[in-house]
Amino acid sequence: MTFRQFAFNNVIRNKRLYAAYFLSSLFTVMVFFTFSIFANHPALSGKDMNSSVAQGMNISAGIIYVFSFFFILYSMSSFLQSRKREFGVLMIQGMSMKQIRLMVFLENMLIGFLATVGGIVLGVVFAKGILLLAENVLIIESALPFYFPTQAIFTTLASFIVLFFFISLFVTYVLRSKKLIVLIKGNKIAKGEPKANLFLTLLAVLLLGTGYATALLVKGVMVVAVMLPVIIVVTIGTYLLFTQLSVYIIRKLKKNESIFWFKTNMLLFSDLAFRMKDNARTFFMVAMVSTVAFCAIGSLFGFQTVLTSSIKNVNATTLSYKTNEQETENHDVDLINKTLKEEKIEADSEQMVMSYFDIGEDRILIANKSDFNRFASLIDEKLVEVKDGQVIVVEFEGTNFGKPSQLLDKSIKLKSGATLKPNKNGVISSKALPATGPYYIVSDHDYEQLPKPVEVQSYYAWQVKDGEDAIMTASEKLYDHIERYKITSVDYEIYDIMRFYGPILFVGLFIGIVFFVSAGSFLYFRLYMDLDEDKQKFSSIAKMGLTAKELRKVLTRQTAILFFAPIIVALIHGAVALTALSNLFAFNLFKESVMVLGVFSVIQIIYFFIVRLFYTKQIKTVI
Amino acid sequence: MLIVRQISKIYEGNIAYRALTDIDLTIDEGEFVGIMGPSGSGKTTLLNIIATIDEPTTGEILIDGNNPHTFKKEKLAKFRRRELGFVFQDFNLLHTLTVEENIVLPLTLDGKKVKEMKQKANEIAEKLGISSIMKKSTYEISGGQAQRVAVARAMIHGPKLLLADEPTGNLDSKSSKDVMEMLEAINKRERTTMMLVTHDAQAASYCNRVVFIRDGKFFSEIHRGENRQAFFQKIIDTLSLLGGDAHDLSSIRV
Repeated sequence: MTFRQFAFNNVIRNKRLYAAYFLSSLFTVMVFFTFSIFANHPALSGKDMNSSVAQGMNISAGIIYVFSFFFILYSMSSFLQSRKREFGVLMIQGMSMKQIRLMVFLENMLIGFLATVGGIVLGVVFAKGILLLAENVLIIESALPFYFPTQAIFTTLASFIVLFFFISLFVTYVLRSKKLIVLIKGNKIAKGEPKANLFLTLLAVLLLGTGYATALLVKGVMVVAVMLPVIIVVTIGTYLLFTQLSVYIIRKLKKNESIFWFKTNMLLFSDLAFRMKDNARTFFMVAMVSTVAFCAIGSLFGFQTVLTSSIKNVNATTLSYKTNEQETENHDVDLINKTLKEEKIEADSEQMVMSYFDIGEDRILIANKSDFNRFASLIDEKLVEVKDGQVIVVEFEGTNFGKPSQLLDKSIKLKSGATLKPNKNGVISSKALPATGPYYIVSDHDYEQLPKPVEVQSYYAWQVKDGEDAIMTASEKLYDHIERYKITSVDYEIYDIMRFYGPILFVGLFIGIVFFVSAGSFLYFRLYMDLDEDKQKFSSIAKMGLTAKELRKVLTRQTAILFFAPIIVALIHGAVALTALSNLFAFNLFKESVMVLGVFSVIQIIYFFIVRLFYTKQIKTVI
Repeated sequence: MLIVRQISKIYEGNIAYRALTDIDLTIDEGEFVGIMGPSGSGKTTLLNIIATIDEPTTGEILIDGNNPHTFKKEKLAKFRRRELGFVFQDFNLLHTLTVEENIVLPLTLDGKKVKEMKQKANEIAEKLGISSIMKKSTYEISGGQAQRVAVARAMIHGPKLLLADEPTGNLDSKSSKDVMEMLEAINKRERTTMMLVTHDAQAASYCNRVVFIRDGKFFSEIHRGENRQAFFQKIIDTLSLLGGDAHDLSSIRV
């Protein structure tokens, strides 16, 4: 048996031991590969695609690659930790450190090669599925057909061979000369509790507090300015939270014997304390990685909502037409009516002339009561009652770019010389007219008394009652014939945004999911590294007498702490970040945030139950 | 106290293996019985069956008139925790716990009051001479101390039956002597029924009675008189009769 054969056989015959590391490498390669299949797709990298999207794809691929590096490095080092004893035994047999390094290097290259090839093969198998998914998320005119991804295969193969090579080099550094006794004793020696320092504990609270407070209080564009400092402060705060505060709490609990010595608590807390250092690091990483996932998905989703809802808010009706060019007006309106008829769309329509007046320095729309009411009834809004001499200020629903208070301070001069003054009770909000700012409504009688408007626009609106399915086709036809600035079809505008925004959303989703899944596998690693130890522990306790119920209780709590402590922190981080985002856009993203964070929580809970089931099963095999 | 009736154990597998054949054994209240035999004779299998860790193929075990093998899992776990005490060759201490915490573990699982646990732990530690190491962690103590901690853990809840599987197997002769003298003292003072499985004739000589088995069958039994030295000699003689090596001190057990 040559040394190379020994290293080779060590992997091949110890399949189960290597499986976890192999699978996580495989998964990483597969993620990168499917992403590059998608990014290199001819339909996406062709001339249709805008260059900023292509650049975005490349940056994302870079992020995934860097992340892969750290992820594989982490899996590798935790895998090596669990093999300390084996190295100790080999060293007693006279293996030199150099030989061990060589062995680890060879093993790692073997696993890396198999994982890369395996990941690519699996990726090709799933490629069709990924492309189908992408097709549905994105709005692309042509379908994304399956293609043989030569370039993606080449990129992935080259990148990961290089990556595994560097990790193999790096890993030998992880194994720097450790004392033989430490290796042999392996897990029997406590890795030591990190010291809980009162100053650092307070600092953790302080950093998190200031980070959160800044993120929550800052409004508008300032959010962007404080983003980086807040991220740094919160990251350090989180690290200290897990390394200091958790240590502090567990110490306190251990000292209190009436809690610590209560039934199965002793088993649970002693384990937590024993693995504190490892746990703290895992918790920190999982919390940060999950936060990134929440924020990526949450902010993209929120941004999409901001864009689409602002269109919906400005245009309450299905289709509208606005112009001040009288020559084309009749022709265009006829065309719209004709097209609607052709597509068998039934719609109610209204028409008015919108008149703008200079009041103070601003040009402000003034509408009369009956015009306003006609449009309000078109979209089933409440009608208003305006008496002569009364002025109503209409505030814009949704985004609040305009300030109604400014309008309250002004007054409208009539031809008769009288002035109309709005008062505070006469403020309503409505979407009836397509103004981008607040405007006035006066009674029909007063309206005639107004001076000549500075600007007039004809405004037509259609509210579709039947035949919604055909709106898109009709809109496409109309957009071909009528200038873009005159016509607005809500469905078509949203479709247009989605077409541009889809790829970004998809990439964000992809990265978010990758990060979230890897957070899950960090936890899985953490748990399975302790599996052998737990098996041993529970089998000796079982001999003493541990009921199945008690076993389940201990395992449930142990797994629950591992799964939920970092996720809860990540959820809080995510919630704060999304609140800051809504402050940036001055738009309420509460519903979206709750949805995104809720979905993640549910996935995590399901994942927890699955892992607990398998872990308990594993432990029960030895009892 | 303990009645073993016609116990047989067959390990199924590619080649079925008969580990025990029709073993009968009765142990009275307060008795200290040693089980001896060559490697692979079925000593540990017998102990495991009595300890309810393993199931017999045929036959039954009665502890105080109850057959624990008929108990449901929950009840069995409680039974082991309250009525039995175990001492193992490799101590089986939990290294995430301190010595004191290891000792009180059976009581903790039963949800006893902290004050009561403390008091009991201190009492037993005093008796076994391990008071000074109560706050240490398990990897800071020697093998002899570890086994004494294991005995303390097995005794803290006042079990009816203490089962020891090669308790001296991992210890040097001085520590072996200490542990055996301690077990003998507990047996005399507390009247705890004890059963010991061992290879070690020196250790077995502390028992009231030694039962020999060979190839899974009862071979013979001898009783101790007043003199432990004479009993030790008798054990050595029987061992040589057994055909096993008289100095069969191998720590490998099956």
